[in-house]
Amino acid sequence: MSEAPREDRSVIGVYHLVKTYREQNALDDVNFSVANGEFVFLVGPSGAGKSTLLRMIYMDEYPTSGQVVVGSFVSTRMKRKDIPFLRRRVGIVFQDYKLLDDRNVFDNVAVGMRIVGASPFAIKHRVTSLLNEVGLYHKRFENPEVLSGGERQRVAIARALVNHPVILLADEPTGNLDPDSAEDILRLLFKINSGGTAVLMATHDHSFVQNFGQRIIHLRDGKIFEDRTTGLVGNLSDRLEAVRLDRERHRRVERELKRQRAHTLAPTRTHE
Amino acid sequence: MLRRWSYIFDEALRTVSRHKGLTSISVIIMSLSLLMLAVFLLATDNLLKLVGEAQSEMKLYVYLADGTGQSATEQLHAQILGQHEVESVTFVSREEALADFRQQLGDDAEMLSALRTNPLPNSFWVRPKPEFKTRDSMVVLAERIQAMRGVEEVRYGKEFLDKFASIVRGIYAVDIVVGFIVILSAVFIIANAVRLTVISRRKTIEILKLVGATNPFIVAPFIIEGAFQGGVAAVLSLLLLRLITEISRNAIPDLSFFSVEKSLVYMATCVAIGSIGSFMALRRYLQMR
Repeated sequence: MSEAPREDRSVIGVYHLVKTYREQNALDDVNFSVANGEFVFLVGPSGAGKSTLLRMIYMDEYPTSGQVVVGSFVSTRMKRKDIPFLRRRVGIVFQDYKLLDDRNVFDNVAVGMRIVGASPFAIKHRVTSLLNEVGLYHKRFENPEVLSGGERQRVAIARALVNHPVILLADEPTGNLDPDSAEDILRLLFKINSGGTAVLMATHDHSFVQNFGQRIIHLRDGKIFEDRTTGLVGNLSDRLEAVRLDRERHRRVERELKRQRAHTLAPTRTHE
Repeated sequence: MLRRWSYIFDEALRTVSRHKGLTSISVIIMSLSLLMLAVFLLATDNLLKLVGEAQSEMKLYVYLADGTGQSATEQLHAQILGQHEVESVTFVSREEALADFRQQLGDDAEMLSALRTNPLPNSFWVRPKPEFKTRDSMVVLAERIQAMRGVEEVRYGKEFLDKFASIVRGIYAVDIVVGFIVILSAVFIIANAVRLTVISRRKTIEILKLVGATNPFIVAPFIIEGAFQGGVAAVLSLLLLRLITEISRNAIPDLSFFSVEKSLVYMATCVAIGSIGSFMALRRYLQMR
């Protein structure tokens, strides 16, 4: 692999990416790119390679073969000392929030700026504006431990954005949340994206993300199974409504199936 | 630059205040193992002082042959003083020697009254320069003086010197072996105490890496914290040692405490052990990306 093809306006490029663990391919010839300001869902069942793919992008691990390009950083040419500088250009959000319990909300968001030596004034300005954006300015002095899951995730998102990253990577950001909080987080990610930041969000919940008119990369067994842009159905509220409706239908169908199963397993009792 | 330092001190302070319990336990463990080290060091220090004092007492007694005249005596004095090992030569006349002896005997001096003549010869007390106060150079010097005209006998406690040298050698050998074990175990215990602190913060390290902190930034607060723990533990162990010394003075009145300079060197070493321990414990976490 000599020179990666550079596409203009793409913030991430993934080229013939292969990652092998114990002679098993976790990722197998994956190719895609994310354009500046694009919103992409990365879906697939657990074990499909979503988290592995994200780790390759923030270069927690290197590919077995192939290449990952993030902004001006190229995986095949990275040195260990370059990694912190890549991380400052990429915001990362996890299912388990990864907040620091030894400091309050404000300091959790500020830490990314403190480590680059930003001035206290700049930090105050930026963190205040981000906390307002995620709706948690009134909780800036709280410890993350007392916040709800949805609030914690919003703090994590604010932290990820503090150094103006070119892309926000979110690995199952709604995985630990109830449906309402999950919806809030999704709305927040859309809002951030509309401000120009590219977002790549991994989720196993395919039905959750179908109706937003976004690009969906469907990963299965380490390969891209499908890469398509879904159609828009109405406005955002309508789409979230559709998700809720969809969930409700799923629940009803499941309940009915369960009832029928119980019915067939214990037929004698119902006859009485 | 200043901002970065304030961040680093902030972080160090935050860990210490956030993990008060762990920090105190860690400091107590460190103090106790340092106390063990300090007791050993103080024992060695006193031992060396004792050996030094014994060595400074080393001198040669040169007894002159009877009938050596005044000028011959003066010539001999000059000749002995001319030896490169010699620092000073004191003449002790036979009368002085007898008077001195009488004084030493005290109440038993009566036995001397039976003497009709003074049996003690004139003599020189020869004090060698400090660097020649070893058994071997004493032997060489004594032989050379013995060969001079007018010298009857040179005495310097050869048997005592032989015994003394072998005792000192034995003590040194034991001291080095014990010292090696004590230092090793102190460093090991301290490194583990510090490791506990680092492990309790591995989530913080992981998160700092994720937001793009460079290694020096991650390491610096831990180094400061380790240095702080080492310093506090050093002071605590010195205070405990001081207490032990005061109590032991009942049994060993000559026991002396570390000089100020030695105390400072000791504290600086403990600070270094604390920060190096932190760094060692951190290393494997820094290998992560």
